[in-house]
This record gives sequence, structure tokens and C-alpha cells, in this order.
Amino acid sequence: MITLSNVLFKWHSQQTAPTINIAQLQIDQGEHVFLHGPSGCGKSTLLSLLAGVATPNKGTIELLGKAINQLSNSQRDRFRADHIGYIFQNFNLLSYLSPIENVTLGCQFSPSRKHHALQNNATISAEASRLLTALGLTGSLQHQAVGELSIGQQQRVAAARAFIGSPEIIIADEPTSALDTQNRQAFVKLLFAQATATNSTLVFVSHDETLRSLFKRSIDLVELQGGRHATT
Amino acid sequence: MLLLKLAAKSLFNRKASALLTLFTIAISVMLLMSIERVRIDAKSSFSNTISGTDLIVGARTGDIQLLLSSVFRIGHANNGVSWQSYQYIAKQRGVSWSIPLSLGDSHKGLAVLGTNKDYFTHYRFGKKQPLSFANGHEFNHLFDVVLGADVAKSLGYQLGDKVVIAHGMGNTSFHNHDDNPFTVVGILQATGTPVDKTLHIPLAAIDEIHGGHNHQHEKANDHDHDHDHDQHDAVDLIGTPKQITAFLLGFDSPLYTLQVRRNINQYKEEALLAIMPGVTLRELWEMLSIVEKILLLFSIVVVIISLLGMLTSLLSSLNQRRRELAILRSVGARPWHIFTLISAESLLITGLGCLVGVALFYGLMLFGAGYLQSHAGISLNIALLSAYELMLLAAIMFAGFIVGLIPATRAYFYSLADGMSIKI
Repeated sequence: MITLSNVLFKWHSQQTAPTINIAQLQIDQGEHVFLHGPSGCGKSTLLSLLAGVATPNKGTIELLGKAINQLSNSQRDRFRADHIGYIFQNFNLLSYLSPIENVTLGCQFSPSRKHHALQNNATISAEASRLLTALGLTGSLQHQAVGELSIGQQQRVAAARAFIGSPEIIIADEPTSALDTQNRQAFVKLLFAQATATNSTLVFVSHDETLRSLFKRSIDLVELQGGRHATT
Repeated sequence: MLLLKLAAKSLFNRKASALLTLFTIAISVMLLMSIERVRIDAKSSFSNTISGTDLIVGARTGDIQLLLSSVFRIGHANNGVSWQSYQYIAKQRGVSWSIPLSLGDSHKGLAVLGTNKDYFTHYRFGKKQPLSFANGHEFNHLFDVVLGADVAKSLGYQLGDKVVIAHGMGNTSFHNHDDNPFTVVGILQATGTPVDKTLHIPLAAIDEIHGGHNHQHEKANDHDHDHDHDQHDAVDLIGTPKQITAFLLGFDSPLYTLQVRRNINQYKEEALLAIMPGVTLRELWEMLSIVEKILLLFSIVVVIISLLGMLTSLLSSLNQRRRELAILRSVGARPWHIFTLISAESLLITGLGCLVGVALFYGLMLFGAGYLQSHAGISLNIALLSAYELMLLAAIMFAGFIVGLIPATRAYFYSLADGMSIKI
């Protein structure tokens, strides 16, 4: 499903120690993984590699059986649009679009995700509305100005956008850091429910150890890289 | 389509600065269009001052000087044309009509023109429009006067008023012949040409104010007061002046023009000059063209400044929008989508700016047409946009597009470098 082997990555060629140095990592389809580690251990960089925004200097990254480091830039962009849903830390939404429009944006650059979305509902707006309802954002909230939603509600919209069109991989980059403890756990449970419903692989990145217990599998990025802390 | 919608919504989200930019462009578009329209219409008004006349003939002097003195009533003709020469030339083959012009006198600073009745039937201005009367009729008696529209308006004259005409130019004159009152019998429609600022009297009356045939004057005056107008068409309105300032010629066919012109210029008896008004008007306009070029230059600079304003606002907003671009990247937008998005924005602003600018332009034209007509004699053509004006708009749109490529390129590289991890 997600396979990294001998991946080495440096942001600059003069860098002595690589930012990412992973010998082997395997995540199966449908798995919910908690990826954690202190600041600066390369969490964001690893996500960039997984999302295909950055390419490793050495090694291969296989997603859904495809070595994405061998794809061209535009092929990787298309791959991301088709197969990956991404949830940001915060400030996730385009403030000039309604929650519904923000969600539908998730499948508008990908014909295949649009096609998936339309299998569930007659229109992508209806599908967006269904997802928002499933994530606990109902009624008039779905059409309210994004700026009037609370941070928690905004994160639900961002999650719905990641899930629309059922992408195989959901990457969540510290999506709970702006929420209080109770809301964090509730949000993570909503993510689980949704990911299970679509059989998506969930890679959840956080430095918040309290969430760790909710996941069946957790990966310590420092341990993964041989206990070594990357420095620049 | 999606990108255009996103661009529009994103712009609407930043409506304060977007509206300001749009308005700057709109005003510059309005300015450019107005200046161009006024320039072109001024040019055509100018070259339409006289039309339908094939030749203007006067004593030998410069082409432009003759045009200025005979048509625009500017400056003096140093010499006149003898009456004999006029009569000889007017009888040449091909001459369809001739209008003698005798200038040099004034009424309260406005030109007095002595002429014949042909003036009212053959003189043409604009697109070969004839003179028409707002009130009254042409002169039938020696001491009748027909006023141009501006004369009647600015001096408040009406039909039947008595007007005293002085000998010489200028406001005050040594010979204020209070005993020679003229009666207003006609007022012409406004033409937007120097005709509006002219008092027209019979040619013979010019001699009268110069103290010529006193006897005839008495007689004519008596007639005027004692009898009905219609019975006195036989009054000699032309007389036998010694000389006139210039005369206009119309031919049966324009083919005669060049030949008659050569004959007049080589006329042995008297040093004469014949000019084709259209050609000389164009020469005169070319002398003035430096002014129009400066005007055009200024309006183009204003457009450039407004586009630079758009560039500034797009570039400065770009940094704040890197997260927005990253979000779009995360949902699958490729860098060229980002590029198109920003380009679409600049095109939207320029396009809307042009639309609003054109609307403002028409507003200004509707508002200003009357003023320009009455104060500058420029008749504005409130028509649809001409091909030239559409081309100007297209050029502005293109310039806006080119300018928009700068932030678009920058956004393209931002989105390549930033990816989805924004560190702002």
C-alpha cells in the first residue's frame, strides 16, 4: 500500500545529515497510523514525500503499487489529486468559498474522484453535504461563511474535503493542534469512522502523544530513522 | 471555468483593493477613450468647418493664411481680389456657383461678412450640411442682417432688433455709424463652425458702412420701413464693390478643380491664390498635431500607471495568498492551474475595468457633448465604439494580460517551491 525503502532526502545538496533517512516503512491498505515525533524530526518533510510534492534523493516510495518518485511532476500532481486527501494543521479552507464549495473543490481537479463522488450521490454538492452531515456539520452551517465557523467546524469541513471521492490515502498533518482535548478525540474518532467507511489508509501526524492510544499502530519517526535526530 | 469562478470569488473576497484597482483602470480607460474620441471628433469637426467648396480664392498669400482669414475669420487678408477678377473667374466654364466674401468689419468683436444670397444655398459644413434657419429668413434688403447662432445667443438678439455695424475690427471703432442700423431678419441654426460667430449682411451693405453710396442707402432704408418685404426682391444686394476679400467656388464636377486652380494661380491680371480647403485644413491640422500627440501620450501613460497599480496590488496580495495556493495544490491543482488562476484574475480586473471605463466614457460623452458643441464647436459623435476604439480596448486587455503574467509566474514558482507546507 505505502512502501518506503531506503529513502534518503536532503532539502539542500550541501546538507551533511539527511532530513529523512528511512530504511523500510510499510503501511497497509485501510490501516490507521499515528506518526509522531518531536518538532524538527522531519514529519512535514515525510508528508511532502508521501504527497509527492518533494522527491527523495535516493530510494523508492511506492503508493498503491506505483513508484511515485519515478513519475513526472505533472503525473505526481495528478496522482495526488486522484488518490490523496490532505488535511492541514489549520487555516485549511478558502475563506471566499462556502463549506460546501470548499468540500467539492476536493474532487474538482480529479475526474476519477468526481466519478467516485457521483456514485454516491447525484451531484457533488449533495455528496459534499452528505459528508459534512456525517462529520457533524449540518443544516445552515453548510452554507455559512467559512469565517463564521469555529476552528473545530472548519476542521470538519477540511476533513470532508479530504474524504470526498473516496481517495485511497488520507494524510492529516497535525489537524487537531488547534482543538481542545475533548474535541481532538471526537475529531479523530470521526476521521476513523469515515476512513473505515471508505476503506482509506489514514496517516495521522501529530506530536500530541495523548492521541497515540486511539490508534492501533503508531510510528515514532525518530526510532524509524535509527534513533537519530536529523540536524541541518 | 472552475478557475475563472475561483478567480472571481477570490477577487470578490478582496473586493476593497480589487475595486480600487478596477476603478483606477476604469478611469484610465475612460480618459484614454474620451481623449481619443474628442481628438478624432475635433479633427473631423475641424476638417468639417467647410465642405462642398472646391476652391477658396484670395489675394496671393500663404495657403493657411488664406484659409484662416476666409473660413476661420482669424487674421487679416492684406490684399483683396478685384471685383473684375472675381466676375471673370466666376464665369469660367465649369463653375457652378460662386460666393463672394467681404470681411474686415465687426460688431462687438464678432466678424461681419458681406456676401450674396448664394451663401445660404451653397455654403456647406460638416458632412455637406447646408445652413438652415432657426428663425426668420435670408436677407432681402440692403440693411438686413442674418446672425450666426452664437451671435444671437451671446448678444441676446432677436428678429426685428436693430444692430449697428462698425467699420473696422475690434470692439471699439472710430467710426460707429449709429445712423446705419441693420435689422435682424434671420438667425441660423448652430453649426459648430465660425459661421455661428458671424453676422451676414448683403455685399452691397459693406460699401454702405464704408460711406459709399449714401443715396442708395437712404432709398433702401425708406423701402425697409415703408413697404412690404416681398415686393422688393429687386433690390441690388451685391452692388459694385471695388474689391472683395476672397470668394468660394463650386464646380459642376470636381474634375475642374485642379485645372481652374492652376489657371487662377497663373492669372496674369492679378496675383491670386486658389486653395483646396480640404487639403489646407489637413495641413493646418498637422501643424496642431503635436498637441494631439502629447494628449495621446499622456493618456497612454495614465493607462500604464493604472496597470502598474494592478501589478502592485496583485504582487503584494500574493504573499498573503500562499496558503490559499497551497490549499489548491493539496486538492490537486497543478502549478499551471495556479498560473492560470492568477492570470485570470488580472484579466478579470482589466476586463471589468474596461467595461466600467466604457460606461463612464459614455456617461461623460452624454454629459459633455452639449458643452463641447457650444463652447468648442466640436460635435461629438455618441455612436457605438469604432473599430479603432475596440482595438484600443483590446490593446489595454492585452497589456493587462501581459502585466498579469508577472504575478502569475511568481505564483507558479511559489507553488512549486512551497508545495503544501507553508511556513508563514
